[in-house]
Amino acid sequence: MTKLAILEYPDPRLRTKAVPIDAVDDAVRRLADDMLETMYGSRGIGLAATQVDVHRRLLVCDVSPEHNRPVVLVNPELVLREDPALCEEGCLSLPGIYASVERAQRIRVRALGRDGAPFEMDAEGLGAICIQHEMDHLEGRLFVDYLSELKRQLIRRRLEKERRQRATTGERRARATVT
Amino acid sequence: MRTGVSARLPAARAVAGVATRGVNLDAALSEACAAADPGDAPTIRSLAYGAVRGYFRHEALLGAVCDRPARRLDPLVRALLSVACYELEDRRSPDYAIVDAAVETVRAAALGRSAGFVNAVLRRYLRERAAIDARIARDPAARHATPRWLAARLRADWPDRWESILAALDAQAPMWLRVDARRTTAARYLESLHASGLGGRLEPRVPFAVEADPPCDVARLPGFADGVASVQDLGAQCVVFPLDLRPGLRVLDACAAPGGKTALIAERQPALARLVALDVNAGRLERIQENLRRGGLTAQVLCGDASEPSGWWDGEPFDRILLDAPCSALGVIRRHPDIRLRKSPVDLEKLPLLQARLLRALWPLLAPGGRLVYATCTLVKAENHGVTADFLGSIADGDRVDPASWPGWPALGVGDARAGVQIFPGEAGADGFYYAALSKR
Repeated sequence: MTKLAILEYPDPRLRTKAVPIDAVDDAVRRLADDMLETMYGSRGIGLAATQVDVHRRLLVCDVSPEHNRPVVLVNPELVLREDPALCEEGCLSLPGIYASVERAQRIRVRALGRDGAPFEMDAEGLGAICIQHEMDHLEGRLFVDYLSELKRQLIRRRLEKERRQRATTGERRARATVT
Repeated sequence: MRTGVSARLPAARAVAGVATRGVNLDAALSEACAAADPGDAPTIRSLAYGAVRGYFRHEALLGAVCDRPARRLDPLVRALLSVACYELEDRRSPDYAIVDAAVETVRAAALGRSAGFVNAVLRRYLRERAAIDARIARDPAARHATPRWLAARLRADWPDRWESILAALDAQAPMWLRVDARRTTAARYLESLHASGLGGRLEPRVPFAVEADPPCDVARLPGFADGVASVQDLGAQCVVFPLDLRPGLRVLDACAAPGGKTALIAERQPALARLVALDVNAGRLERIQENLRRGGLTAQVLCGDASEPSGWWDGEPFDRILLDAPCSALGVIRRHPDIRLRKSPVDLEKLPLLQARLLRALWPLLAPGGRLVYATCTLVKAENHGVTADFLGSIADGDRVDPASWPGWPALGVGDARAGVQIFPGEAGADGFYYAALSKR
C-alpha cells in the first residue's frame, strides 16, 4: 500500500466533480486501500478520492475510536437525510481549520461496496457527518463553502501564510529574547 | 474529514504536562506538536495558551459545577475541561459544538468513562453561565485566573495594589524592542518600522526602547538579523540605569542566560575593559553566544555556578556585578502564564535562601567603590527588599545607592534609597521588575 499526496485548499483540482465508477475492479480496490492508509496516516476519519487527485466517485471512512472499522463506498448516494444540526468539522485538505457546519445527523446511503455489490447503510452522528463531508468532495464542494465569504478569505490567507512559513523556515519558530 | 480531536488532545496533553510535571508550556507544546499533524500546530498552540492563561479561572468555574474539587480530577480530563472552557470564553464556535468536541476528545483519549462527566459539567456551566460568570467577576483572584495562595501573597505584600497587579498580569503583554544606539536611534528605528508597514511608539523615558505595536514576528523586524533591534521588555532594559556603566569598567553578568541583558550592557557601553557572562546551565550558554553574535558584540562567556566563584573566577575583581537572580518570576506572568501553574508556595519560601547565597558569594568579587545590582522579575518583597536588606545588615562595607542618583533613571515604579525600586507590571507597558544597587566602600 502507498501513502498518497493530499491536495490542499485552495488547489483548484479540489473543485473537480468526480465521475461514477463503472466496475469495482482491483485497481479501484487498490486505490481504496491506499486511501485508507493515507487517511489513517494523517489522523483522518474520512477521505474522498478527489483529495488524492483521482476524480472518481469513491470515498473511505472510519469513525470508530479504535480505527478498526474501515468503510469503502463506491458511487454513494443519499436516500435519506434527517435531523439537521451544527457540528464541528475539519478536513485533511485544510490542515488546522475547524468550523461548524450544518449536516443531517441521520442518513441512509446507497453505494457499491469493496466487492462491487450494492448495499444500503444507515449512519448517525459522526458517521453521518463524515459521509456527507466526503460526498461533498466528490461534487467539488468543501466544508468551508458553507461559511461566510469573509471567514473563508481569512482561512485562505492563514493557510497560505502557514504554507509559506513551512516552505521557508521548516517548522522553526522565530526566537525572541525575553529576559 | 478530520475532527477537532487532533488539535484538542495534543493541546490538553501539553496543558496537563505543565500542570503535573512542571515543564514549561513551550517545551510541553513542542513535545505535543511533534506527535501531531504540522497543520494543527497553530491551533494546538492557541488552545493550550488559552487554557493555561485561564486555568485558575476555570478552576473557580468548575468548582461551581462539580461536586468534587477540580484539582482531584484526572489531569488530562482537567486539562481538556480548561481547553473547552477557554473555547467557550473565546466564543469562536457555537457552545454545543464545543461541548460535543470535548466529549469526543475525552473518548478519543481512552477516558470514555469520563465522557458523561465532562458533558454534564460543561452543560451545567452553560445553563448557569450568567450566575457563575457574575460570581467570578466579583472575585479578583478567580477573574484574573490567579491561584488563591498567589493572590493572597500579593495582597499581603501590596495591599493597595494587588488587584491592579493581578489585572496587569492577566493582560496581553506588549512587544518591546531595544535598538542598538551605536547604529541607530529609537526615532530613526521607528521610522524604519513604519517604512516596513509596521507600527510602534517611543518611550521617551527610556531613549533606546521602541514598542512594536501591533506585535509581529521578529523575522519581519528591520535589522533584527544583525542586532540593530532586539526583543527585550522595557523593564529589563531599565537595568542599565542602576548599573551606571562607564568606559574601562570590569563587568560581570552573573546569571546571564539567555544573554539579553549581557547584550544590552555591551551595546550601551562598548568601551568596557571586561565583560564576563556567566551561567550555571551549560546548555543555555549557546543562547548567550547567539544573542551576542547577532549584535556583533563580544563578552567572555563562562559556564559556572555564581554561588561557587572558586570554580571559575580568575581573581580579578569586578567594578560592576549584575545579579539577575533566579526568582519566582511573578512579574512576567503575562508573558509566561504557565508560571501560575508551575510555582508553589514552597518555591517562594526557598528562593530567598538561594538569592542570599548568591549575594554572599558574589560580594567578595566586587572591587572597593564598585557596585552590585540585584535584579529580579518578581513582586515578592521577601525576594527583593527582604533579601537585600538582610544582606546589607550582615556586612559592614555595603550601602544602598539612592535610585534618585541613577543616571537617566526614568522614575518608574515605587521605591527609594532604603527599599530599592519595584516596577509594577503594566507600568509604562513594562513587566514587573525589581532593582537595587549596592555599593562597596
